[in-house]
Amino acid sequence: MPLKNAPAKDYGAIGFLVIASGFLLITPILSTHRVTDFMIFCIFAMSFDLLYGYMGRLSFGHMLFLGTGAYGAGLFIKYINGNPLLAILVGIAVAGLLGMLLGLIIVRTTGACFALINLAFNHIGFFLVLSPLREITRGEDGFGVSASKLGFLNLGSRPIMFGFVLLCLLLVFYFLKRLISSPYGIMIRSIKEDETRVRFLGYNTYLYKWLTFVLAGSIAGLAGALTALNYNYVNPNAMDVNSNVGVVFACLIGGAGNLYGALIGGVTYMIISNFLPIYIHRWEMFLGFSLLIITFRFRKGVWGYFQGVWENIVKKKVIGKPIEEGVADL
Amino acid sequence: MLEIKNLDVAYGHAKVLHDISLKIEKGQMAFLIGRNGAGKTTLLKTIIGLLKPKKGSITYQGNAISNLSPEELYLRGLRYVAQEKKVFGNLTVRENIEIAAYASREPIDRTLEKVMSIYPKLKDFLKTKAGQLSGGQRQILLVGRALVGDPKLLLIDEPTQGLAAIVIEDIVKILSGLKDKVSAVIVEQNLAMVKLLADRVHILKEGKVAREIMDKSEISDTRGLEEYL
Amino acid sequence: MIYTIVYGFSIGAILYFISIGLSLTFGTMRVINFAHTLTYTIGVYALITLVAFLQGYFVLAAILAVFVVIPISYVIERFIIRRLYGESLDYTFIATFAVSLIGVDVIKWIWGVNPYPMKDPIGEYLMFWGLSLPIYRILIVIIAILLFVALNFFFKKTIVGKIVVAALDDKDGVRCLGINVDKYFSIVFILGSALAALGGVLYAPISSIHPYMGLSILLLSFAVVIVGGMGNLKGTFISAFALGMVMSITARYWSQGAETMVFIVMAIVLIFKPIDI
Repeated sequence: MPLKNAPAKDYGAIGFLVIASGFLLITPILSTHRVTDFMIFCIFAMSFDLLYGYMGRLSFGHMLFLGTGAYGAGLFIKYINGNPLLAILVGIAVAGLLGMLLGLIIVRTTGACFALINLAFNHIGFFLVLSPLREITRGEDGFGVSASKLGFLNLGSRPIMFGFVLLCLLLVFYFLKRLISSPYGIMIRSIKEDETRVRFLGYNTYLYKWLTFVLAGSIAGLAGALTALNYNYVNPNAMDVNSNVGVVFACLIGGAGNLYGALIGGVTYMIISNFLPIYIHRWEMFLGFSLLIITFRFRKGVWGYFQGVWENIVKKKVIGKPIEEGVADL
Repeated sequence: MLEIKNLDVAYGHAKVLHDISLKIEKGQMAFLIGRNGAGKTTLLKTIIGLLKPKKGSITYQGNAISNLSPEELYLRGLRYVAQEKKVFGNLTVRENIEIAAYASREPIDRTLEKVMSIYPKLKDFLKTKAGQLSGGQRQILLVGRALVGDPKLLLIDEPTQGLAAIVIEDIVKILSGLKDKVSAVIVEQNLAMVKLLADRVHILKEGKVAREIMDKSEISDTRGLEEYL
Repeated sequence: MIYTIVYGFSIGAILYFISIGLSLTFGTMRVINFAHTLTYTIGVYALITLVAFLQGYFVLAAILAVFVVIPISYVIERFIIRRLYGESLDYTFIATFAVSLIGVDVIKWIWGVNPYPMKDPIGEYLMFWGLSLPIYRILIVIIAILLFVALNFFFKKTIVGKIVVAALDDKDGVRCLGINVDKYFSIVFILGSALAALGGVLYAPISSIHPYMGLSILLLSFAVVIVGGMGNLKGTFISAFALGMVMSITARYWSQGAETMVFIVMAIVLIFKPIDI
């Protein structure tokens, strides 16, 4: 039985060029700093999409990992060593480790349970950095982060940071694209479609789910670490539970299960959340209504919708009735 | 009384029933037989309105009913007893019947009398939680529930499946008592029962009508029917 | 110690009011209503406005506030929840979250973001073994117990209640007996929302009031429902009070960890008894 969500077409190297130029193009319109922000969010969106779009598990607490990455990297620089690359690795590692531990429990659940338990842990994490760990994390006030220079790699300089983040984004994109089309990726997508069947085929779905959870968490940790470096500052907002709506929205609008969609959705959400409040005071209401409209009308996301329209046009030119599949098992 | 024409039913993209056509006259007891997966349950579910056909029509007493809901069809006299033998487990037997009487607005005492007259043994179980009944008792309860109000067409899915012989006897007795009073479409694998009660037999195979036996006398040859199970 | 117990029970009572609706909505419609505590919040703000309007008649304002919520919950049910029947849980989650987003924004629009203070309407204390216990809190607990009894009666003795119980067992079965179940589910939904508003109204004088108060209590209600079992009336009652006690006892030793502890309990329960949704 063919999988319903085939990966995005492989545009190859052209894809990278398109993405890179896309980001470069909007930079003069906005600002380097802003676009860097966008790109970091896109990395976060891609990590979320891995979990939601490809594996089919909605988490309402993914910010936990972004925050963990941010705090991990930030605290490393503050207390141990100013090396930004090491800090990023630490951020990813800490987030990944958390994913490994929590994943053992969380991945056993599904559906609403999964969403809620992630939410609960996100909440717990937020509370932890706010209060009990106040000594270290400076609680609500947060703390500054200044990375040291590493040769020519001065992440304090905006253009260099931009380039660095763009590089990270392209690497993550490439990595995820390869992953999705690999046998591992097929496994994950199969689990989304029908986990029971995959298990009956003898595969240890628990392991795959756990691995994906850890990966998604680690990449989110990367985004978090980059956030810390980009703002030179970390505070509990990096783990804010309410911010989860942003990445959910991004993936819905872009079309879940589609890496290009995650990018487009990410940029769209960033633009909306950054610029809409200026023009529309009640922008959260707008966000709410758009979410409703998307949920009821545009299931495959706006991107997916247009993709569907395109495919219909192409199909009409080819021929015929869709072939009906055989008798279902009752 | 019931006429099905060119019915196509699908679950998502998978078509289960292909171009089904059959007719039931008033007062007749028709049996549907066929292998598992042939589409018998699907057909019953479509008639009662739990599933919507992709194509074709269902006419009952002269009216098209394929877009009506189960609730509306109930008021027109259709009654459905599902294969799974699900009762309202958390309610007592009496309460189960109470619920059955609700829509038909029949006074509960009259309903209970009617059901008791069909199956007196049920009286001992009135206060028992339906979930604690045995399979056979549940089936009796379900048939009893279906007979509340003014039933005109019964749709029963595998009434004797998994039941002990003695309970099957009871069910056959109840159904015989109903012959000529109500019409029925019954799915069954129990050929002895079919032979005993059927006015006509429709055989489904892979979602299509493979054979129809309209004449009661022809039904007695059960060996011919066995190959379809 | 007694104080802690009374506190715990009063929080448990409030949780019970709110969780009952959530549990029923899930049990009947298989919909996770993220916007459930929106009615809670609306009830509270309506109360504030009504109390000011009625110049301090708390009881009347409280009752009216609960009634105000009814048409709002009807609209939510009719236009959103009903369309989510049978949908995948992700979408119900997102759609109801969107509703709560809109609702919270509307509240911010009308009433502003700043917290409203409110004081205990009874303000009297009961002398008990040398301790002064706030009567108001005890009253809340009594109301919760009365509600439990009333709900039990409703579901066990009235025909509407029995229909709902039957539909929880076998929805199609009820439909095939000619009963339009969806209508009754709507009633259940509205009832649940009204109860949430009641919880809000009763809790308002002893908590902090701000537009986001719904979110924190929502998470706690989810925990109650998960621990108690979806659609399980008795379970919800017990788990609400149990978790209320957890919060109260935790607050005694670790003042800010109360909510966190509830989630830890929820996580533990989920490990050993994962829900199959």
